[in-house]
Amino acid sequence: MQVALKIWRFDAVAGERKLVDYEIDAPEWVTLLDVLDLIKDQVDGTLAYRKSCRMMICGSCGMRMDGAAVLACKIRMYDIAQSGHIPVISAMGNMPIVKDLVTDMQPFWGKIRAMSPWLQPGYQDPGEKEFVVSEEQMDTIHKESLCIMCGCCVSECNSMESDPEFLGPAALAKGMRFVGDVRDHATVERLQEYSGQHGIWDCTRCYFCQERCPKGVDPRDAIAKLGAEAMKEGIDSDMGAKHAKWFVTSSKTTGWLRETELVPKTQGVARSLKEVKFAMGLLKHGKVPPPIPPHVAKDVDEARALFDLVSQQGRGGAAGIVQGEHALERLEFEQGGNPDRDPFGEGSFPEPFLPGQGEGEEEAES
Amino acid sequence: MRTVAYYKGCLASLSAKELDISTQALAPKVGLELVELERVTCCGAGDIHEAEPDYYLHLNARILAYAEETGSDTLMTVCNVCTLNLRQANFQLKGDAALLERVNANLVSVGAPAYSGGVDVQHFLWLVSAGEGYELLRQAAHKGLKGLKIAPFYGCQILRPSKLLGFEDPDKPSSLERIIEACGGEAIDYPAKIKCCGFPIIQAREDVALGELIQPIEQASEAGADAIVTPCPLCHLSLDAWQSKLREQTGRDFRMPILHLSQLIGVAAGLDDSELKFKRHVVSVAPVVEHLRI
Ligand code: SF4
Ligand code: SF4
Ligand code: SF4
Ligand code: SF4
Ligand code: FES
Repeated sequence: MQVALKIWRFDAVAGERKLVDYEIDAPEWVTLLDVLDLIKDQVDGTLAYRKSCRMMICGSCGMRMDGAAVLACKIRMYDIAQSGHIPVISAMGNMPIVKDLVTDMQPFWGKIRAMSPWLQPGYQDPGEKEFVVSEEQMDTIHKESLCIMCGCCVSECNSMESDPEFLGPAALAKGMRFVGDVRDHATVERLQEYSGQHGIWDCTRCYFCQERCPKGVDPRDAIAKLGAEAMKEGIDSDMGAKHAKWFVTSSKTTGWLRETELVPKTQGVARSLKEVKFAMGLLKHGKVPPPIPPHVAKDVDEARALFDLVSQQGRGGAAGIVQGEHALERLEFEQGGNPDRDPFGEGSFPEPFLPGQGEGEEEAES
Repeated sequence: MRTVAYYKGCLASLSAKELDISTQALAPKVGLELVELERVTCCGAGDIHEAEPDYYLHLNARILAYAEETGSDTLMTVCNVCTLNLRQANFQLKGDAALLERVNANLVSVGAPAYSGGVDVQHFLWLVSAGEGYELLRQAAHKGLKGLKIAPFYGCQILRPSKLLGFEDPDKPSSLERIIEACGGEAIDYPAKIKCCGFPIIQAREDVALGELIQPIEQASEAGADAIVTPCPLCHLSLDAWQSKLREQTGRDFRMPILHLSQLIGVAAGLDDSELKFKRHVVSVAPVVEHLRI
């Protein structure tokens, strides 16, 4: 079959960028990575990209297809080529480009290293017996352990675009992998470290990391787990943590968020005084509801009682986030948005190829 | 008429009252009878999910249980964050019998109804951008928008994570565009329409948040948009109320009017001033209103 791609080439020496069209004859089973190999082999040997395992485990081949970070070796080209769509391939975002599709991963590794990504055991020698970790305890870090450090999540992290020093989804997921490991005893130090200026509370919850990760790590959930663990350990001096705590208090006392008080609770009174002018502007338009009388939800005592009850059930911290196999499942796309839409049409995110689907397979075998 | 349970969430109850008022006024015109939930609390945004996850799950289960009690199989939301929170809790509870049992025991012991998993959480946007709701919307939007150029802004938590939301392609959504066109406006395309507005960290990390906020406003403005429309009151709050901070920091005064989805459809459907409540916005909507008058 004929496969066409547009590739953003980049020459760092000359500082030139250009979008180049390629078209090549390829077997029907090819992945995006195979197509790049064919192009490099037959058309232009200067095309640069990273690869190694070709089977979604080394994490080398992260790049963007139509603006969305993917693993090149995970994307099957058959349906895309059949639909006539010509995808645009470019280097990942949030990292400097070295050449063509190769990014400089140095900042990425620097942040991973900053997490002290090794076990710091402090447990007593269990003597004759083994040190047993229960399945439930392992479940807490099951997803985090799947990370292959490809950088796809970082590529589109909205907070990192705005604050390049943000530790980011991959590093924080790695952090949770150790914070949640019962054998690790540096939990408190880690949480203090990760709660700094460019840490946990820098995340804007855009969920791009969750959407892009090719391995189901769900880094945003990992960050929520870190937040929950930090709160459990009383590491809550960051403004982000205070903000989160105030929601809890507010839901227990009035049921609805007390927005007026949120600013002082988050920023501290001294800082919030500076905000007075801004707040007066909002007040004029009814954007800050008057604090008295507070808006109280009916039967809010039910919520309060729930809080007290739940606090006694030993599911504080990350354990309260639903784990296990079910949490790993993916829902079917409803496609309710546009039933007529061609899922492989212009600009669509390609689905993974499943063997045995369509005629492509039989022909490839013959 | 389709009867749906209606969960306002905090913002539409308080600082974004105009969203609630316009939604209630519009609902019958698009075939929706709203049964407002009164005994519920805040869904906790991402904050309670992060601070006390187990409590978050119970708060949302309680909302789902009260929705189920109305007898409707649909819980309608008007906020992205509520949508994700409630759908996530629903997915978790429906998929894990032991978890549902524990949560129900807790709900019952504090006097709330138990939840049996019979409710589907749907954002207002989804109900009116496809199927029967969309047909009704086309009929209702008889006054049109006179070719007004509208930039759709989706925000994050109605698109991602798609495994919990899944209504449309998270990278190439089209529901807002379809609505804008059905209302007689022109949909403007720009890359930041699916990105984050920075709201969750606008207090704790204002600089980082403003770096995100400026993108949709600047791009929509450069693409010639007359206004931005969003399905989320939190996005609305940051896009509208924090625009003045962008002016302070960058010296650029975009004056970009920000509309709630219900207001955009409401204008095309002929709702009056008292139902649209544009006065409650920080950035003036007057240029839009004038365009429509001519
Ligand atoms: S979390 Fe996922 S996307 Fe991010 S580096 Fe790990 S495997 Fe790649
Ligand atoms: S959810 Fe947080 S960590 Fe993930 S991509 Fe968005 S800002 Fe980055
Ligand atoms: S998302 Fe926000 S506005 Fe919506 S109910 Fe939850 S806390 Fe309130
Ligand atoms: S854009 Fe930002 S505020 Fe709006 S829904 Fe997404 S996270 Fe929330
Ligand atoms: S080449 Fe190893 S993950 Fe793609």
